[in-house]
Parts: sequence; structure tokens; C-alpha cells
Amino acid sequence: MDNNKNNNEEKLKQVMADVFGVPANTIDDSSSLETIERWDSTGHLNLVLALEEQFNVSFNEDQMTEITSYPLLKGVLQDLGVHF
Amino acid sequence: MSTNLISDALQRLRSEWSYTAYAAAANAVDAGATDLPEYRVAWLRNITVEPLLPVLKGEIALTGARPQVYLGSFDTIATEVLDSDSDLYRFKPDLIILSLWLEALNFRIARRFISLSAQGVETECAAILGDIERYLTAIRKKAPNAPILLNNFPLPDFTTLGILEASHKLSQSEVLQSLNLGIKEIASRIRDVYIVDFLQLFARIGSSQGFSSRDWHLSRTPYGRHALVPIGQEYGKFIRALRGKARKCLVVDCDNTLWGGVIGEDGLDGIKLGPTHPGSWYVEFQQEILNFHDRGVILALCSKNNEDDVLEVLQRHPSQVLREEHFALRQVNWDGKVLNLRRIAEQLNIGLDSLVFVDDSPLECGFVRQELPEVEVIELPTDPSKFRSALMSRSLFDTLTVSREDRERTRMYRADQERQKILENVGSLEEYLAKLQLTADIGIPDQSSVARVAQLTQKTNQFNLTTIRYTEGQIHSFVDGADSDAFCVRLADRVADLGIVGVGVLRYHGEQAVIDTLLMSCRALGRGLENTLAAFLVNTAQANGCSRILGYYRATKKNAQVAGFYEKLGFRSVRADENGSDWERRLDDAPLAYPRWMKVRISEPALRPKRTSATAW
Repeated sequence: MDNNKNNNEEKLKQVMADVFGVPANTIDDSSSLETIERWDSTGHLNLVLALEEQFNVSFNEDQMTEITSYPLLKGVLQDLGVHF
Repeated sequence: MSTNLISDALQRLRSEWSYTAYAAAANAVDAGATDLPEYRVAWLRNITVEPLLPVLKGEIALTGARPQVYLGSFDTIATEVLDSDSDLYRFKPDLIILSLWLEALNFRIARRFISLSAQGVETECAAILGDIERYLTAIRKKAPNAPILLNNFPLPDFTTLGILEASHKLSQSEVLQSLNLGIKEIASRIRDVYIVDFLQLFARIGSSQGFSSRDWHLSRTPYGRHALVPIGQEYGKFIRALRGKARKCLVVDCDNTLWGGVIGEDGLDGIKLGPTHPGSWYVEFQQEILNFHDRGVILALCSKNNEDDVLEVLQRHPSQVLREEHFALRQVNWDGKVLNLRRIAEQLNIGLDSLVFVDDSPLECGFVRQELPEVEVIELPTDPSKFRSALMSRSLFDTLTVSREDRERTRMYRADQERQKILENVGSLEEYLAKLQLTADIGIPDQSSVARVAQLTQKTNQFNLTTIRYTEGQIHSFVDGADSDAFCVRLADRVADLGIVGVGVLRYHGEQAVIDTLLMSCRALGRGLENTLAAFLVNTAQANGCSRILGYYRATKKNAQVAGFYEKLGFRSVRADENGSDWERRLDDAPLAYPRWMKVRISEPALRPKRTSATAW
């Protein structure tokens, strides 16, 4: 169970690293569209698509606009059934 | 430094093919690739295509170029295309992509078809085709050297007339298809315009995967996330063909690729190949490969087998589709695949980057990927029903008839350096094996394993030194007997547990030990396990107080590959004739070491010598 939780944190950071071209170990609770250079509207779209692919979830419209930071991402993913 | 990051990202891409892996690869090549040649793509569009950029860039990176993309402003195609001084032309693109979505081009044909009269339909269609022809003509004049990729229109998920759609005179789907024909006709009249077949692509992935209402309304992206990789890869196929990167030769393995099973073990009647399941999957797969042959792709065979065994199938199996004459050449031997692929490329006078290698073994595929990164490797899934799509999905052989064929593709693959490299590099094989984290567990057959052990003695033909068949009872006797020992070895690596794959039987006669049986399942070969088992048997003989150990090789039609096994281990030849050979090793010689990359675990019972006293006999 614990393993699963760790894996999903790592997985989320890796997806963000892949989409934004930053090292995974630089992603933390302060990471947001204000701190990451490539997190613009295009980057946001790409992030949504990549997360849906990797976590097999589907964001609704509200959730898509809400997920603008790493903590908010975790929160919404948790709502969608992903364990952290 | 950055080239390593890029090649790592591309290697990851090649094993995942996910959107995320494409994004990572695109970022890697954007960040680093200053020494790679540029490939400049201008993308004009009336919809959002930004989510496709990572896939397009990844595909360009896979051809060895650095992508430079100019993205036209939203829905400004007309102005960009008709103005000679626009950013489009200043960009000097190598390739121009036009993404036209029907709904953005003509709302009524797409969404309100039923509101149009026959005359109205004609007017709208003429307008659509007229605009397209005007754009293409203008581009061709102002950017004469840039090929153009233009998509045709997919069919909608639900058509207006419902059940009448297919039979009604004026139906939306028929009009869309005639639009597509119109586009094709225009493209044929203008030089270097290629149609990207969205009709086929969306049919293949299905409308529920391909279209996204959510994304269309939120961000003007009409295609769903499941379409991102297929669409990007479709553009990639064109780019590969345009850059002369189309592959020329398909190299296929035999066992568990062209047929189910292992011909050396199962024989002509035992392999799965025929009109009914599961052999029918392999027949279907062979037919697809034959299609490639008929298209002009060169076929080559690369298999670890006795050539006679393989020829028997090619010549005599009634369901075999691919015959001798279909293969330009065969490398059927016991050498490594890396070596054989190099030979194939050299003999055909083509580059390694012209080869596509198809094999079912993750071990072989992994090593080829590591040693020959220019070769495209298709690792077949374990399920043969998925073989055909694994082969077809990347369209690696596509060329364009009006081609920009690169002469260098057919340049002689020369250099004495290449001849040097043909000697397999043992050092890097060790590195590769070490990465696999192989573990050998040696133990004594017990209630749970004796059946498997006996079965292995009965079934194993190729890596079998003496080919003596034993029953479970006989194995028990070896285990229980005072002057004999039986052992089994299980192999696992980082990815999988192969189960029990090796058997060894020792008999003790005074100071002498004899290797009665030493065999290995063919799927465990190539990892040094046979040497591990041999070393264990030698060490065990020593622990049992023996001063020498004998090994026998008894020749059969199927075990030629082990004729030199004891010689390679440093045993001395005692006798040899056409029936086989006897070998001996003194046990005060240097002990046999386990391969460096193999972690060996020996069970307690297997460690305890059977004979406790030096004077026991």
C-alpha cells in the first residue's frame, strides 16, 4: 500500500518533468504555473493529456482549470481515485 | 553530454511510444541538439494543434534531425498563404503541414448537412475545394521546394440521415467522400502535395477514441488524447519518407515468430502453423510479411537454429507461406544476432539504419537495441494475435513515389573498421547481461519440481549433452542414491522468472565423477546459465571428494550446438568419433568460476556433499 503511494508521487513528478522539460527532483509543493517556465496554456493542455494517459483518468472542465499547481494536482487526482 | 540525454529519451520513446515519452523526447531535443541538422516544419491550421507538437517533434528527432516548428496563427491560413512576405515564407520551411478541420472550414456541411439542398451542397463543396486549390497553388508558387501535407476528412461519428445514410442519394457521408476525392484530384495536379489519410486513421482508432467533444469546446482541439500519437506518427511516416529514412529490409526470426514453438525441439509436426488456431495467427503474420515482399521490401531470415531444421519448414511445411525464394538471404546459425545483422547489412550493401528486426525474445531485442541503435527493433508481444498490428503500426517501409530518395541509403556499407566491428564485442554483452540482474537458484528436485525436471530430460533436444530421457522415478533414484546427485536450476532476471530451465546429473565412481546429464531449455540460453550449471557440477564433484570429472557429448541430429561445450570450458579431450566425444578435467585444476553477472544461490541440501568421507568408497 505504501509502495503504491510513493509510486504515484514519483509518477506525477515524472509526468510533469516530461511535459515541462525540467528534472523530476525539482518538482515540489511550490511548483505551479507561476514557477515553471513552460507551464503556459499549451503546456497546461499537454499536461492534462499526459496525466490522463498516465493515470487513466478523465478531467472534467472544472478540474482542468483547477490543476494549476502540484498540490492542486494531487488533490484533484485523489478525487479521481489516485492514492498518494 | 546533451546527445546522451537525447538518445536516452529516444530509447525510452522507442520502448513506450506514449504521449508522455514523446513530450520528454521533444523537450530533450529542444534543449540540446545543436549539432543535429535542422528540419523546419511550418504548420498552418484552423484548429488547435499544439498538443500534437511533442509527437511531431519526437518523430523528427527519431530521424536524426532537430525540429524547428513555425506554428501559424489560429485560422489565418488565407492571409499567410497568399501574402508572399508572410512569416510562413520567411521561415523557409522544409515541409508545410496544412491542418484543415471540416467543421472549422464549413460549419454547414459538417453540422447542419440536412439543412442544405442539393444545390446548396454543391455550392458549399465547390467553395471548400476552391479554397484548398487556391492555398495549394499559392504555396507551391511561393515555396517551390517545400512538400505539403494535407489531411483528408474523416467521417463523423453519427451521420445526419441515420439508417438511410448509406442508401440515400444525397447523404453526408457520400458528400464527404466526394470531397476527399476532390482533394485527391487537386493534389495530383500540384507537385509534391501528399494526402494524410485521416479518413483511414480515424476509422482505425474509432470515433469514440478519435474525437473529443470536451476538447473541441474547451480548446478547439477536435481530436481526443487517444488520437495524438497516431496522428503525430502519421506525419512522422511522411517525414521519414521525405528524409529518405524509409527502411529497406525486414529481418525476421523464426521460432515463435514465423511459427509457434521451436523447430529444433518440436519438429515439423510440432510447430504451430496451419489453418486453425493458434497456427492460423502465424499464417496471417507470414502473409503480411509476404505483402511487404511484394511491395519491394527485402526479406532476410535471422535465426539461432540448425539451418537444415529451418529449411525443412521452408521447403516442406504445407502451411508455410514464406518460402526460400522470398528471402534475399538467411543467417541461420548459432552466432549472435548482432553479428548476423551486421553481416546482413554488409551483404546487402545497405546501412544498419535500413534494417527492421523482428524477434519475439526480449533478450535478443534488448541487446540489438543496445549494440545497434540504428536498427529498428520490433519486439513481438507474447500474444500472436497482436503480431500483425505490431508489424504494421509504424509503417517503416513507406516511401513516396515522387521521392526525395537519398542516394546515400544505397551507398556501399564499407570500411575495414566495420569488418573489425563484426567481431562481437564481448565486453558490452557482459554489461548488458549485468543490467538484467540474473539470478540462478540451484537446488535438488523435490515433490514440487521433479515432474518438471523429468519433463525437461524428455523434451530438451538442442542444449542437451547426452540426451538421456528419464522418468520421475529415475530422477528420484538419482536424488536418493548414494553414488549420484541430481540438480535443477531456476533462472530469473529483473523482468521475469523463467522457472526451472536446467538439469544436471552426476554419477560418482570412486575418485571419478561423471556428468551423466547436462541440459538447458533453449529459452534460457545466451545468459551464461549453462556455464553456471557446469561450474556448479564441477565444484560439487570436488566437494564429494573426486579427483577428476568426465563429461560426455553424444551427437544427435539436434544437439550439434553443444559439440564444443566441454572444450570451451577447458576440459581435455579423451576420445572423439562420429558418435560424440569424451572429455575430462582434473579437479585440482583451477576451479570453474561462475559468470560475473550471474548471482548464484544454492539451496542447503544442494550444498551438502552426498559423500561425507574421503574413504566412503
